[in-house]
Amino acid sequence: MSVFMDLNLSYTTDKNRLQSVIETAAHLGFSTVAINYGFEPTAKKKQEIPTPKPINELIDQLPIVQGRSRPIRVLNRLTVVMSDSSHFRPNAAEYRSFDLLAVQPTTEKLFHSACMLLDIDIICISVTEKLPFFFKRAPVNGAVDRGVVFELCYSAAIRDSTMRRYTIANALSLMESCKGKNVILSSAAEKALELRGPYDITNLGLLFGLSDAEAKEAISSTCRSVLLHAETRKTASGIIYTTKTCSDSTCQQEAPARSELCEAPAAKRPHLAE
Amino acid sequence: MSVDLDQTPRSILVWERSSFLDEKNRINSEVEQLHFNYKVSVLLPECSSTPPHLESVLTSFSRFYLVRNLPLHKLLDKEFLETAVYQGSVYGLSYRTRIDEDNCVALMPNGRLVLSLDKDSFQVLGFEGKPSTFGNRTKNRFVVTIDLTDSSMAPGGRGYLRLLTGLTSRLSLQMDFLLSHHPGGGASLQPLLSHCDWSEHTPEISTQSLTHLSCPEPQSCDPHSFLEWLGAVHTDVSSLSENSSSNFLSSLVCPEPKTTLSQALRVSICGLLLPQDVHHLVQELRCYLERSRLECWTSLTVHGFVDSPVSWGDREHGVLRGGENFYTLLMFHDHTYHIHLATGAHDTCPP
Amino acid sequence: MRGDDKKDKSAGYQRVVLKNASPYHYMKVCLVLEDESTKLSAVELKQFIITGLKTLYGEVGAALNFDLLKYDEDTRTAFLRVCSRGLVKLWSSLTLLGFYQNQACAFRVLQVSPFLLALTGNSRELQLD
Repeated sequence: MSVFMDLNLSYTTDKNRLQSVIETAAHLGFSTVAINYGFEPTAKKKQEIPTPKPINELIDQLPIVQGRSRPIRVLNRLTVVMSDSSHFRPNAAEYRSFDLLAVQPTTEKLFHSACMLLDIDIICISVTEKLPFFFKRAPVNGAVDRGVVFELCYSAAIRDSTMRRYTIANALSLMESCKGKNVILSSAAEKALELRGPYDITNLGLLFGLSDAEAKEAISSTCRSVLLHAETRKTASGIIYTTKTCSDSTCQQEAPARSELCEAPAAKRPHLAE
Repeated sequence: MSVDLDQTPRSILVWERSSFLDEKNRINSEVEQLHFNYKVSVLLPECSSTPPHLESVLTSFSRFYLVRNLPLHKLLDKEFLETAVYQGSVYGLSYRTRIDEDNCVALMPNGRLVLSLDKDSFQVLGFEGKPSTFGNRTKNRFVVTIDLTDSSMAPGGRGYLRLLTGLTSRLSLQMDFLLSHHPGGGASLQPLLSHCDWSEHTPEISTQSLTHLSCPEPQSCDPHSFLEWLGAVHTDVSSLSENSSSNFLSSLVCPEPKTTLSQALRVSICGLLLPQDVHHLVQELRCYLERSRLECWTSLTVHGFVDSPVSWGDREHGVLRGGENFYTLLMFHDHTYHIHLATGAHDTCPP
Repeated sequence: MRGDDKKDKSAGYQRVVLKNASPYHYMKVCLVLEDESTKLSAVELKQFIITGLKTLYGEVGAALNFDLLKYDEDTRTAFLRVCSRGLVKLWSSLTLLGFYQNQACAFRVLQVSPFLLALTGNSRELQLD
């Protein structure tokens, strides 16, 4: 097991509220959290990809994790809601300023490409609507092999009873395909009172079709795998960066080839293969 | 696919009845094998103030030391090994670390050093160990047990150097550490303390007197009901003292047949408590019973540390949702006793 | 699931191993409300928890027996007892309770154990500085 993490705390411009969410997460025993910036491109107009706020601007002093002597670790994450394949831009420089990269596909086709192709860490499962598609075994297995994880968020289930039904139904449908592997449970909390403790989430995981051990992994070791996955992904894009410093023409030919290469290591990292 | 929502994680309760006069009784080993005790609570029925003998036993509980940011390789310091590990019993336990999340370490009185490590740390350390019993299919946690009294672990020995290199150059573990020594106390730990940031702590004693308690018949009550009743007494559940408990809130009642205790005393002590001191306390309680009336009894509950890598002896211990490992000793006037040993999901059966 | 093994060495000695035999589970919980000044009596708290059971598990859930063993109105901390088979249901409905009379709330589950005594000796509460 590794430390408990909540890789999805919703970003809000209200600094006090965000601070209290981070403090509550530390108090509940989470050692690592990620501030999530949502991005939902629409067809009509071009939108800016958000840029993450430096952590020290969000919170003055990082709170100490409950019962430990170390402060909480705060990361940044971007979630792109995809309703069209053009919404995810594989080499966008803006993505690089985030520690974690997630997509939320809205169609079966996009779900398939998210599982099989996109260079991402997390696939968000929608919990606010009845899923318009089934989770097919093949793409799910593909994602598991590549070390990409599926994320279920529970705070919608606290806010609203209809959402609760969708959350549980979609969770059970996901578990049928992935058998409890590569699943993380996060809050997507907007307010401190929407956060729940690690053991509460473990117990809630049983309702989602996870076993005791799988549910605990879903907030600890699987999250850790996600962080490692993200690090390798970022290092891989770092290679592209260095090649760019060389003279222009050769570099432009080389870059795409490199980027294909760097998708490979993500799939074969040993800690995810088990 | 759906998981059975009626199931709860495993728990074990061992109930044993014997007598202090029986030569084959195992009480001493049961008391001594739970090395890392966090809290001891005593219930004295029909008693209004702490008997002076008992008071003095409680105040003589050994002090313990908190060392901040102890680099683990300091436990292999030659001088420390000679004054604390080879002589007497040393008790050390990592503090502010959680067994289901972090690396945890225990130094046991028999000279064994137990490291419960996550997979990364285990591989980086490069020392022989075995996967945790509670890891199910994914082997994420490993337990390394090292006998520091073994000849290969003597300073300069092969195993010693390997571990020292591992802990200094590859895996430089640092953690807050609780330490205590029997019988040497702080003096025996001095070689280590002198290099570190430390503080001395005295176990904290608290006393409450209770009145008008319904009480079951301890000799015949079934183990779970008795433990529940005792738990209710220790958590101050009021429905046991008032008859007016409304049925809507709680249906908890004292098991029948019951009597009423006009008064009782609850004494507890908290800290890193040594089994030797607990043993001493048990002896004193026996003397107390001998001096008191015939039908008298007393109970002693000892809670182990939740995040200790071991519970009884070197049995592996872990936390699934709660890491309970405790025993309740119920002593009677005629030298017979009942002992209840309880553990949670990530624990093996108590001795 | 339940196994008793008894062995008699001498007349006075008896040992019984009870596995998963705990009839109840115990929870120490604390209710956090958005408006800290809200007063909540023991009866109101119990009723509130029953509402939670009912929304998540229907009438069958509302019929689940649990006891409010102790309640401190100032800290809104309570000890609950529930039959072991009902633990997951009670716990999950506490987790998913998000509103008390239109104000946000959260149940903080502080400890859960098959032994009430374990709730009185949690070493994670040890504070030394």
